[in-house]
Amino acid sequence: MKTVAQTNETATLRNKSKFSFNKMDGNILRLLIIMFTIFIVASITKPDTFLSLANFLSMEKQLVEYGLMAIGVGIAMIAGGIDLSAVYIANLSAIVAGLFMKTFASAVTGTEQILFIVLGILLGLLTGVVCGLFNGFLIAKLRVPAMLATLGTMQLYMGIAIIMTGGSIVSGLPQPFAQLGRTNVFQVFTLSFIVYLVIVAFFSYYIGKTKYGMKLYLLGTNEKATKFAGIKNHKIIMRAYMLSGVISASAGLLSLARINSAKADFGSSFVMLTILIAVLGGINPDGGKGKIYGIFLATIIVQLMSSYLNMFPQISNFYRDMIWGIALILVLIINYVLNKKSEAKLMRLTSQ
Amino acid sequence: MMNTLSSKTLKKLATRPEFYVFIIILLLSLFIQAKSGLFFSNNNIVDLLQSMTVPLIYAICAYLGFISTGPDVSFPLIAALSGYLATQFVFVTGFDGPIFVVFLVAIFFGLIMGAINGFIIANYNFPSLIVTLGTTSIFSGILLGVFEAGRIKLPESMIAFGNKSLFEVTNAGTGLGSSLPMTFLIAVSLYILTYLFLNFTMAGRGVFAVGGDETSAERAGFNVKRIRFGVFTVNGGIAAIAGVCYSIESTYFLPTEFAGKEMIVIAAVILGGTRLLGGVGTLTGCVLGTLLLTIVTNSLILIGVPIYWQKFIIGAIIIVGTAISVIQISDLKGFRRNKRRKVGVA
Repeated sequence: MKTVAQTNETATLRNKSKFSFNKMDGNILRLLIIMFTIFIVASITKPDTFLSLANFLSMEKQLVEYGLMAIGVGIAMIAGGIDLSAVYIANLSAIVAGLFMKTFASAVTGTEQILFIVLGILLGLLTGVVCGLFNGFLIAKLRVPAMLATLGTMQLYMGIAIIMTGGSIVSGLPQPFAQLGRTNVFQVFTLSFIVYLVIVAFFSYYIGKTKYGMKLYLLGTNEKATKFAGIKNHKIIMRAYMLSGVISASAGLLSLARINSAKADFGSSFVMLTILIAVLGGINPDGGKGKIYGIFLATIIVQLMSSYLNMFPQISNFYRDMIWGIALILVLIINYVLNKKSEAKLMRLTSQ
Repeated sequence: MMNTLSSKTLKKLATRPEFYVFIIILLLSLFIQAKSGLFFSNNNIVDLLQSMTVPLIYAICAYLGFISTGPDVSFPLIAALSGYLATQFVFVTGFDGPIFVVFLVAIFFGLIMGAINGFIIANYNFPSLIVTLGTTSIFSGILLGVFEAGRIKLPESMIAFGNKSLFEVTNAGTGLGSSLPMTFLIAVSLYILTYLFLNFTMAGRGVFAVGGDETSAERAGFNVKRIRFGVFTVNGGIAAIAGVCYSIESTYFLPTEFAGKEMIVIAAVILGGTRLLGGVGTLTGCVLGTLLLTIVTNSLILIGVPIYWQKFIIGAIIIVGTAISVIQISDLKGFRRNKRRKVGVA
């Protein structure tokens, strides 16, 4: 009995991964085409400003923060939920780390200072873990719908951050930490971008190739089925939101290093942007579909586009909002139409 | 039923989230009254009603979205854009007639924007949260990018309407006066209309049916797509009314003040017992939820709670409130049956 069940399970696992792989390839291909089109158009029309090192460095710096949060949101969406609190977890972590460093690391120098900075970073990440676990607890254990739970914790984390700072900005961090935000590697990469790439690579592997990732996709596809298949749903969900929390916290820390300050309501517009990027990247909001590197490509596209638009002073920044909105809905419709086509094809194949 | 308040009816009452919200409101207001002595003063009550007006209208949008399909987060921006267009209409045409024409113009634009939402959501069956997030972004781009809307002082005819008040009160003790604007009347009539529509028309019952179980609703003969399209279109119109009301209250059109209001409204509606997954919820719940969050934002300052505790408290209320109602629902046996019964009492 057991072996039959096991082979069945592995068979469905294999089918599933094959199926989604074929489907995602189309989406990734589309993303790549869009990315290169924007890049080429931008390079031809604005060669001197767009193709400058300064522009690339500033693009790298900007995309890291919301790119990371989009990965967190994407993981929650793969699990069939959503994480609206990501931006505020990032802010809270940055504030916790910032306050700690300000209190302890500013007064001392040398190795002691470095030690306190490292501790501050760890404390920030720990804040992300705790916040994420709390989200996961509400969603997995108390069965509060994800949207609602994170809507509540979004207010809660912002509230805690406001209480901790009294609503003011945390600034004046120790020099070595601020230096991290200005460090470039090989002159063409910012340090934060390298960190971002490492995180993207890690999670592409972790969500795409490991047992946990597979369980996450299965859970997002059909929660009841995974429960009866003996998968501990609540553990998977808890871990998904914890990961989202940690990733958001790292985004917060990187932004702390970049702008050398933190604020409770920094980047409120990222809530919308992160969801948009995740969906653009091919994550299905109903759960169970999408790839982390899709989110990465979508992040690059969004940043290329917004930097390109910035080079036209006559186009107001607000046009970007409109373009993102239209892009989001168009991508949804295109995916819908193409999925329908492939489904019809499958139906024809199976009926023969 | 009223004359015999048996244990059965009490039990039934106790299973409804509105009941708990009501108790919390009662305790909170008594507490604030005990600490400050200012809560039940006439001007504080009128102030509360005044600041509730626009959130109450928004709450209908969020409510209709939830019971039929899912979250609708586009109403603040529909309100902003249609409010702007209506204001521009008055400026461009130099219109000086009755105010309801201004409302009609706003509603017209609101309906168009709502119809866009409705079409995409109903036709493709996309998650309403994602679609309305997208359209929010588009409307905001049109308002701030294409029209380059800035702070505008409203035309005289609209200000005149805003200055008309239903009644005014003055607190004898503190000498503070407050007045209830006419817009409150609009909110109340919208609630009455929505109530009548949902409970006494076939289409209104269909809104609940579609949200409760799409397949069953379709088998029962409801046109699911048309109902969803209708709900989001109407939401656009209602949001437009809220937009004009908001501008009238502040005598300025403030384009950036609209965005971000959706989350607190959704929280209020959910606290009032509306289910995220559709089919369940009452208008009473919407009013109570909005009242609770308005008290928290308006009156906590009366007992000396620093303003920066506000967000924390709102978040805590949302989490605790929803967790209680979720736990309670899962504890009740025969949950499906219970859900059916609840559908009947909007």
